[in-house]
Amino acid sequence: MKKQFASRWPLAAVVIAAGILAGQCGGGRKALPVLHLYTWSDYIKPELVSRFEAANGCRVVIDTFDSNEAMYAKLKAGATGYDVITPTSYMVHLMHGQGMLQPLDPGLLPNRRHVDPDYLAVAIDKEMAYSVPYMLTNTGIAYLKSKVGNFEPSWGMFGRADLKGRMVMLNDMRETIGAALKFLGYSLNSTDAGELAKARDVVLGWKANLAKFENEQYKNGIASGEFLLVHGYGGDILQVQAENDDIAFVMPREGGAISCDDLVIARSAREVRLAHAFINFLHDPAVAAENTGFTQFLCPNRDSYPLLDRSIRENPGIFLVPEIKAKCEVLADLGEKNALYVKVWDEIKNGM
Amino acid sequence: MRRSRFPFIVTGVVLVFFYLPILILVVDSFNASRFGGAWRGFSLKWYARLFHEPAIWEAARNTLFIALLVTLVSLVLGTTSALALHRFANSRLQRGHYTLVYTPLVVPEILMGISMLMAFVAAGVELGMLTIILAHVTFCVSYVALTVLGRLQDFDFTIIEAARDLGASGWTAARRVLLPMLAPGLAAAALIAFTLSVDDFVITFFVAGPGATTLPIRVYSMIKHGATPLINALSTLLLALTFTTVLVSQRLSASGSLKSRTME
Repeated sequence: MKKQFASRWPLAAVVIAAGILAGQCGGGRKALPVLHLYTWSDYIKPELVSRFEAANGCRVVIDTFDSNEAMYAKLKAGATGYDVITPTSYMVHLMHGQGMLQPLDPGLLPNRRHVDPDYLAVAIDKEMAYSVPYMLTNTGIAYLKSKVGNFEPSWGMFGRADLKGRMVMLNDMRETIGAALKFLGYSLNSTDAGELAKARDVVLGWKANLAKFENEQYKNGIASGEFLLVHGYGGDILQVQAENDDIAFVMPREGGAISCDDLVIARSAREVRLAHAFINFLHDPAVAAENTGFTQFLCPNRDSYPLLDRSIRENPGIFLVPEIKAKCEVLADLGEKNALYVKVWDEIKNGM
Repeated sequence: MRRSRFPFIVTGVVLVFFYLPILILVVDSFNASRFGGAWRGFSLKWYARLFHEPAIWEAARNTLFIALLVTLVSLVLGTTSALALHRFANSRLQRGHYTLVYTPLVVPEILMGISMLMAFVAAGVELGMLTIILAHVTFCVSYVALTVLGRLQDFDFTIIEAARDLGASGWTAARRVLLPMLAPGLAAAALIAFTLSVDDFVITFFVAGPGATTLPIRVYSMIKHGATPLINALSTLLLALTFTTVLVSQRLSASGSLKSRTME
């Protein structure tokens, strides 16, 4: 019996493969234009994609990447076929510098006017010459309201010895050194060696109180109460808040980092008009509001704000008060100066 | 003589080390909480949600399609390569061949991924399913060849000679004698190729083209931006599939070696 199975199974595999192949090709789809979107997973509401497809008589194929650097390496090596991509601002800047992006045609993007001018003021590409902001998030502090007494909205919280061992900061040199730079009143894109040395000493002081530097598990940690206070991304914290309403998220009064993923069109894009139409569609205020509700990140589209859920609109971790917002900055690509941060980060990681 | 308990303890520790993380993952896939930190009750909601995620199923379909084709192609190429390697083991050409077959096993994946991407780009091949299939075949062939080669080394070729003496043509002997006796080895090799293809992330990421997102690529991206319990549920299903496959493969190779032993 077994032998019979063994000798017949390649045949079965051929039949299955042929069946899948037939399904792949013979889906009865007409030759519609196809827009290729290369993005993070779960980063657009699926219904919106269907709506765009119906309105424009096209198909949208979504592929996903998991890190800016891997996506960059792949495109840099010559991979083509993607039209719209959503890298983080610093990577957009780098890709633009390398001529990997197309200039945008403002005439095809009438919805540009809805983009939040307050955000553009701090953005890297202020003119939206080659990128349109898609989703942004603030890096701030999340804590358990019932367990942390005398909370102060300051990065100085990480110096609190009574919370020793129950706090976590991000394992990201730019974010964590940036928090210390902000605490000291400097720019988080500082390339001044003296300022960075001071920031290093501040982080070393905090390190003594931290359980660890960590990027993913802090969400589980604060949800379960293992950690009392964490340094984290607003979008992530919002998801945890949905489960544990004892968690509060604030932006420290010294200000912090804003990070934004942008919509860009690849140099090698084939469907340039469709790509513009897609970017324009995502900045229709009603669409942007719906998308914000789905992704839990904020689409910086000013006219969509009144359409958002109250829970989002009144969250001080998402909509910052103007005085704090003025102190926030976007992490910029520092080019060669990045080495300064690497050195300081090594000293922090190795220091006591 | 008293037996030492030491081996049992070591085995236990190793088993726990290997299987505890998997166990936690499986348990967490039934956790109602989105964040695995605390148990908030038994729930099948992640499995239910999994069935409403077209992107995941699209990726699963791509993965399965690629893996089946890769298995077939690498099985044919790998087996012929193993036959040549065994038959002409001492020729200089085959020693070179052996090195070529062996190389993909030791070259770091990231190197293979990026160099294949560059080769495809230089040759003007459009990235897509085809490039993934070609890339997977490249490393799966080696595993198949070495697995089949292992079985060939135990193979008693006098049986083939006997068949020829009894009047079978070379083709008939190969088809009616060699292939059936190799079948368990071939099945095991095919399962290895299939699992490797389903599993691969690094090489696939680089050579995948638009519209050819596979399950591992999707899962990596979901870790950053999606719901982790969905990944747990998906992984549990995959684990069930993998364990079944491995079990079947072990059954097949065990019965094969048993048979050849009784024949001796």
